[in-house]
Amino acid sequence: MIKPDRRLITNFDWTLLTLVLLLSGIGLLNIYSAGFSLADFHRAPPYVKQIQWILIGVVGMAVAFFIDYRFLFRHAYFFYGISVILLLVVFTAGYATRGSQRWIAIGGFTFQPSELVKLTVILALTKYFDRRQLGRDYRLRNLFIPFMIVMIPVFFILKQPDLGTGLILVILFVSMVLFVGLDWRSLLVAAAGSLIMSPLFWHFLKPYQKERILTFFSPDRDPLGSGYHIIQSMIAVGSGGIFGKGFLKGSQTQLKFLPEQQTDFVFSVFAEEWGFLGGMILMGMFLSLILWGLKITTHAKDYLGALVAFGITILIFWELFINIGMVLGILPVVGIPLPFLSYGGSSMVVLMTAVGLLMNISVRRFILQS
Amino acid sequence: MQKSYSRLNGYEPGQFKRKLKLLFILVSIALTLIVARLWHLQVLKGDELRQRSENNSVRLRKIQSMRGLILDTRRQVLVANQPSFDLVFIPNRTRDISRTIGKIKALYDERSLTLPPLGSLTGRVKPLLPVVLERNISMEKVAVVETHALELPGVVVEVTPVRRYLNGEMAAQVIGFTGEISREELGQEREEPLTPGDIIGKFGIEKFLDGHLRGKNGAEQIEVNAAGKAVRSLGKIPSATGSNVVLTIDAALQESAWKALDNRPGALAAMDPRNGAVLALVSSPSFNPNLFSGGISFDDWERLANDRRHPMENRSISGQYPPASTYKPIVAAAALEEGLITPETTFYCNGAFQMGDRAFRCWQQKGHGHVNLHRAIVESCDVYFYNLGKMLGVDKIAAYASAFGLGAPLGIDLTREKSGLVPTKQWKLDRLRQPWHMGETISLSIGQGYNLVTPLQLVSMYATLANGGTLYRPRLVKQLESPDGLVVKVYGPEKLGTLPVSDRNIRIINQALWGVVNEKGGTGYILKRKEADVAGKTGTAQVIGLPQDDKARKAKRVSADFRDHALFACSAPHGNPEIAVAVILEHAGHGGAAAAPVARKFIDAYFARTKALQPQPEESEATKAEKIKP
Repeated sequence: MIKPDRRLITNFDWTLLTLVLLLSGIGLLNIYSAGFSLADFHRAPPYVKQIQWILIGVVGMAVAFFIDYRFLFRHAYFFYGISVILLLVVFTAGYATRGSQRWIAIGGFTFQPSELVKLTVILALTKYFDRRQLGRDYRLRNLFIPFMIVMIPVFFILKQPDLGTGLILVILFVSMVLFVGLDWRSLLVAAAGSLIMSPLFWHFLKPYQKERILTFFSPDRDPLGSGYHIIQSMIAVGSGGIFGKGFLKGSQTQLKFLPEQQTDFVFSVFAEEWGFLGGMILMGMFLSLILWGLKITTHAKDYLGALVAFGITILIFWELFINIGMVLGILPVVGIPLPFLSYGGSSMVVLMTAVGLLMNISVRRFILQS
Repeated sequence: MQKSYSRLNGYEPGQFKRKLKLLFILVSIALTLIVARLWHLQVLKGDELRQRSENNSVRLRKIQSMRGLILDTRRQVLVANQPSFDLVFIPNRTRDISRTIGKIKALYDERSLTLPPLGSLTGRVKPLLPVVLERNISMEKVAVVETHALELPGVVVEVTPVRRYLNGEMAAQVIGFTGEISREELGQEREEPLTPGDIIGKFGIEKFLDGHLRGKNGAEQIEVNAAGKAVRSLGKIPSATGSNVVLTIDAALQESAWKALDNRPGALAAMDPRNGAVLALVSSPSFNPNLFSGGISFDDWERLANDRRHPMENRSISGQYPPASTYKPIVAAAALEEGLITPETTFYCNGAFQMGDRAFRCWQQKGHGHVNLHRAIVESCDVYFYNLGKMLGVDKIAAYASAFGLGAPLGIDLTREKSGLVPTKQWKLDRLRQPWHMGETISLSIGQGYNLVTPLQLVSMYATLANGGTLYRPRLVKQLESPDGLVVKVYGPEKLGTLPVSDRNIRIINQALWGVVNEKGGTGYILKRKEADVAGKTGTAQVIGLPQDDKARKAKRVSADFRDHALFACSAPHGNPEIAVAVILEHAGHGGAAAAPVARKFIDAYFARTKALQPQPEESEATKAEKIKP
């Protein structure tokens, strides 16, 4: 299973590791600042927990790196099944915070299976598409099984309710389908179909979710209610100016005007304290990461590797774009974490493991013989 | 363009190149969008949003200034400040006020305390705007709220200074009270802008000297967190305590006057004739100004506002009464000064004065016989003055009355001072569009008819006679002092005018006024006493034109609202006066019987106090007074 190979070291993807560790490091500083004045002495400060998560993530990364990904894919459906079962466990044994039941406790840690599902869905879809290569673009009727692969967990996730993760999975599915190739007629039918279905979708939304979408179009309709998050977030970002207010000096952050400032709105903390310049640098790093991921996709030695590398990269891209778009007020508020920067173990560990997989593919292009 | 998808054909690296190129463009556009948005927010709108972030976290907290003290002329404290514990709800952490109120009620109920009804507060709750749930709560309630602070988010006990009126109702209308500024008052122009929630003087001295008493509110810039909790102070402008006000009022005399009036509707005004300093100014019935401290309850307000006895009216400056016989010295002075009579001139009084087909009666049905000026004043002969009035005419009398300070506000340091009324021919033409009738002059000459004076004008008139003819502005404020007791401003006597009456004629009238009290047959004889030489005049003011026959005039038969007002005005000691007093008792009957005893009690109290304060009165003053006596 694990073949110690010198080439794993010589061809190691240092760029990827450096980028991810840098991003995690920035995230750590940021969480330190966000939790700086938190007067909760009974629990470990958030940044200490985040360090633990990064370390666990690095372990996950190493495991994903050393195992030949082709071996991993032999069990892709098994992993997928486990993750869906964990989603079900959430409903019976999970616990709720802020009105939605997303977590299960394992030992002293809490774990969010919906984060894991993001990776296992990529694996399952990849395996499916790899096995069922048609030699031509897919039609809708060929996509029933992959559709179900995505929609089963999406159903449970929307039940939690967690609109953001459900949305990400759907977007991920669409991205991957477009990537493997979709017949243009099918594309038209699917686009028209979802357009017709959207009012129905609206009907199924919870009132607070509707409220968020309405708020997105006019944040001032309830500045102390649903519009509060986005207004405070935009104030925080804007008040950072070009150079930022400085580390630990963000008044919005330090005075707790920002809700969810360590998790989903963590970018506003960063933008307030490091300003436009800091934001540019961070975006530059994310762009490098995504381009690097796409490069790995291009150079992957096989279909399997290319598809999984694409899936992981596009997941990071969409999470980045939706999260920051939300913080900057150009997209509605949905709960999606910012990769490597948001506080939270599940997202961090899963992403680190995914990056390990990327490295795996990156390195093995030199090892595998086609 | 053959694509190879088959697994069997093997995967070609670079197979996805075209799609990835497209994706690269997509990603670049997305990230450019984000950077553009960052530029928009942070660079273009950066200053504006930075401002908003500062407004977000910086609050200006008002520090209410402490009002100055109000002291009496002997520096006894009349009005002080005391802390009031107010139960305040800040709708921030929770905006659910009804639930909070429910919790407070439940906590109170356990200890059988009650929360006063709040009305429909829920509709008015705005974030961050504190709502006062209950003012001036007891220490027991403070303890309940403080011990359950965790269950009552947003509820705090705030300490604010409120006024404590140590003399209660006896000087309520003079000192007044304070209250929260109203919307109309906010609209008025002032030197310093006031803000909602400021406490200002609403009535009496509190209102008249509000600018001096109020001081200056301070402010503190505090940084707050999202919960509205203060994190640190950024800067502080301390509040400035208002000036202390020293009044001319003597609290002991005020109390004597209040007791002498004994809660009957009326007023007593006392003044130092040498300088216009008001020593006592009482209006009765009164109210407890402490009810207004920290906001009056609706019930209390209703009770005060609807009281038929009008306890909130300051009768001493706003009550207008016919002067009746207390007016006679003016007519006498006018006739003497105009040369129409000499002190020796006599008129015959047979109990009535015939004017055309109408008979004007003298109060003394039997008549006074032949009377000269002295006797006419002493015995208050109406017929004598009917004759003088006929000779003088209304406008001459009015000119002298005005010189005595009647018919216009005297300018005391209070608002709502009324002007009284000095009728003239022109006034009647302008006001009632009717010509003057001679008969009206006859009524007027004994102080009836259209004539109206306030108790303050009455005392001022007698003070002016007593001091030999100088009309002073009645003063309530002696000096202003800084909070640490340094004198800021001293108010001295202010002359308003001099009587156009010779010293000799004034002396003749004063001599007659002395006779009223000190000679047998004088209408104020009951005031005669060894301790002080009082010179004064009684008055009995008809409220409506009652039929002038014996039966109907019996006060007992007449319903209380139509009974005569009793008046008495005097000064003492005769020849060297230090105090002038005017008493009006509404619907109390005869001046000599009802008002004079009140004045007597007050004057006794005054001299007892003077004696107590100065164990050895100066020799010279006593001898001087002796010389002038007849």
